[in-house]
Amino acid sequence: MSNRMQLTVSHAPFWHTGSSVSVKYYHIMAAAMIAVIAGLVQYGIPALAVIALSVGSAMIWESIFNYLAKRPNTIDDGNAALIGLIFAMLLPAVTPWWVVITGTFLAIVIGKQIYGGLGANPFNPVVVAYAILILSWPIFLDYNAALVDYVFSFDPVYPMAAVKFQGAAAVENFSVTDLLLGRQAAGIGTGFGIGLIIGGIYLIVRGFIRWEIAVSFLAGIFVTALLFNLKNPEVYAGPGFHVFTGMSLIGAFFLATEDSSSPVNFVPMLIYGALGGFLTVLIRNIGVHVDGVIFALLIISLVNPIVDKIRPKAKRRVMNYA
Amino acid sequence: MINRSIFGIAPPKLTYDVIDAEPPKPISVVPKEKVTLFIAESLETSSGLLIQTGAHVTAGEKLKLLPDSVAYAISPVSGSVDSVSPFTGIMGKQLTAVVIKTENGAEAPQADEAFGEAAKTPGLETALAFLAGLPGAPDFSALARKDDPVKTILIMGADNDLMTITNQFVVKTDSGAIRSGVDILRKMTGSRNVNIAMAVPANLVQAAGASGVSVKGVSNLYPQAHPEMVAFDFMGKDAAGSKDDMTFFSAEAVSKIGRAFTEGKIPFEKIITFVGKDGAKKIVSAPVGTHVRDILEKVGASVKDGDRIVFGGPMTGVSVYSIDHPVEPDTDAIIVQDKNQIIASEDLACINCGQCVRVCPTHVPVNELIRYLDAGEYEQAAERAELDACIECGYCTYVCESRIPIFQHIRLAKHALERMKAAEENNV
Repeated sequence: MSNRMQLTVSHAPFWHTGSSVSVKYYHIMAAAMIAVIAGLVQYGIPALAVIALSVGSAMIWESIFNYLAKRPNTIDDGNAALIGLIFAMLLPAVTPWWVVITGTFLAIVIGKQIYGGLGANPFNPVVVAYAILILSWPIFLDYNAALVDYVFSFDPVYPMAAVKFQGAAAVENFSVTDLLLGRQAAGIGTGFGIGLIIGGIYLIVRGFIRWEIAVSFLAGIFVTALLFNLKNPEVYAGPGFHVFTGMSLIGAFFLATEDSSSPVNFVPMLIYGALGGFLTVLIRNIGVHVDGVIFALLIISLVNPIVDKIRPKAKRRVMNYA
Repeated sequence: MINRSIFGIAPPKLTYDVIDAEPPKPISVVPKEKVTLFIAESLETSSGLLIQTGAHVTAGEKLKLLPDSVAYAISPVSGSVDSVSPFTGIMGKQLTAVVIKTENGAEAPQADEAFGEAAKTPGLETALAFLAGLPGAPDFSALARKDDPVKTILIMGADNDLMTITNQFVVKTDSGAIRSGVDILRKMTGSRNVNIAMAVPANLVQAAGASGVSVKGVSNLYPQAHPEMVAFDFMGKDAAGSKDDMTFFSAEAVSKIGRAFTEGKIPFEKIITFVGKDGAKKIVSAPVGTHVRDILEKVGASVKDGDRIVFGGPMTGVSVYSIDHPVEPDTDAIIVQDKNQIIASEDLACINCGQCVRVCPTHVPVNELIRYLDAGEYEQAAERAELDACIECGYCTYVCESRIPIFQHIRLAKHALERMKAAEENNV
């Protein structure tokens, strides 16, 4: 073995699809851009400020935590930026700066890093942060209060709140087309339904998110809302309304599909998604909160590890073949 | 070959390479200066060795370390022993490497008389004594077992890794030798009624029919031609209870067994699928022990610092440290990868994307398994996450988004568990 040539030596397999975690997160951010840009057009510079602050502060929190924990800096994997972006999409355009920074702290540190970082979070970090904020300072996240200075060409009332407190008749003017085109008061990136759907379909087609979760989540909302609507159409809005307003679409395509807090087997994915949709409408229609998506997602992430035990039986090896 | 679905909803599928209708003639490689042979025995003493540096060796001579050694190698060339040294193989396996300097001009291997004599009475004893190092690496141990005898011999005419077409080539071009090899296998198993069958890719079913055994076509989707998958398929749903009563031979091994007994001398030429940096395949024929250096030179492939040479297929092969690594009896393929083609593993945690779970052919919950393995909880991995069900196809690692070396984790875990088990048995 006299030759001194330095060959690369590693373990099998010697091929890889080329996929990687950061590529995935950059694609998810790109897919979210359609809805984000629509939000910027609608809400202008304040929305841009919220998004920039959210993405930037999320990355800084990640860096600070890594530094304190003496771990390699992981902001280049794109996950912190993604969390910042998705979190900003849920916020009203005029959210105070300190609410944004507190939110990204909750998402990055409390939602993700204290569990061990990427892949170890039991809940979607964005959902954790938003849930804590809406229980702590509901007034700053109330779309009706936050958007009071805007002049819109449409009814500026937050549809979710209107139906909750005034019944189905209050939202009769919102057609599905209006909701899809973003003619509704909403968060920066949650209103433009068609953009979220296009982004979601792109992610599904490219294999970055699992269609089973998104589809069953929306189906769960649709079916549950339909049952309520059939029971009492005066109080409960129709299924189309529930699917296309509030956080339903961003929840289905960008929140529920977060890898670490969702199941990987086929049947569990369907159960997880459908249960999420069911709980969402349950909270909206008979719970105390205006929108149910966030709390429904927390609950289904809680049952995820148990549900994911439903899996095909492993094939037993036939023989001891070395 | 990678087939990616247009819609991308399904993960990319890996398909086996299928041999052309008219396979090219093999490129014959002759070892230039040295050959290296591995003997499956650790070199613990330097005194009393039967192989001494400088000693003369003739082609076909049996090389053993000590008088009572069981392991042996058969020299494919005549020459003198250059060195005898310990060599560490996969998973710390202790081997002995014997380097033989070839004699100039002595290229015609002489028929080994000892085997020529023994070959007149074909049987298991002869095979055990002379043919363990045949190209194709036949494993006669299951046939030699007295209690719980083998009921089925499965000949693998389909290659179990990607890019590789070695066994298909043998089925296509050497069906006569396979047929005589099958006859010898029948003689070895004696009066017992052993079922012999052959698994080949669908396009070779007709060619394989000439071997005189029942032929089964296998799918070209990876890893359906893996011996374990063929066995699942072959035995149907109630495979339980049939443990251990099946054994595998590669088509090449069977053809070489046939040749050895009909010609009265041991064949050394190993058929190898050589894949260059451009992905072009060549069939190479070289004696076991030939250094890769000689093959690279003959096929005109250049290798630079940082490139990777893989022995075996891209999914389950082994990369080697040196271009002086020898062809081994089970080296079905040699793949040269350019530095720029190499995608390295990363030090990221599992993000639970589930790609591995969806491609696993035996439904191992890989996402759970890797968490146990990462923490070194090997016993838990076996108990709760189906470590034992893994057939080691490497698919999970191929699709892993975090680029975790899952396959290597699994191999290490199995190795550690085996050692623990052995230690426990020794303590009793």
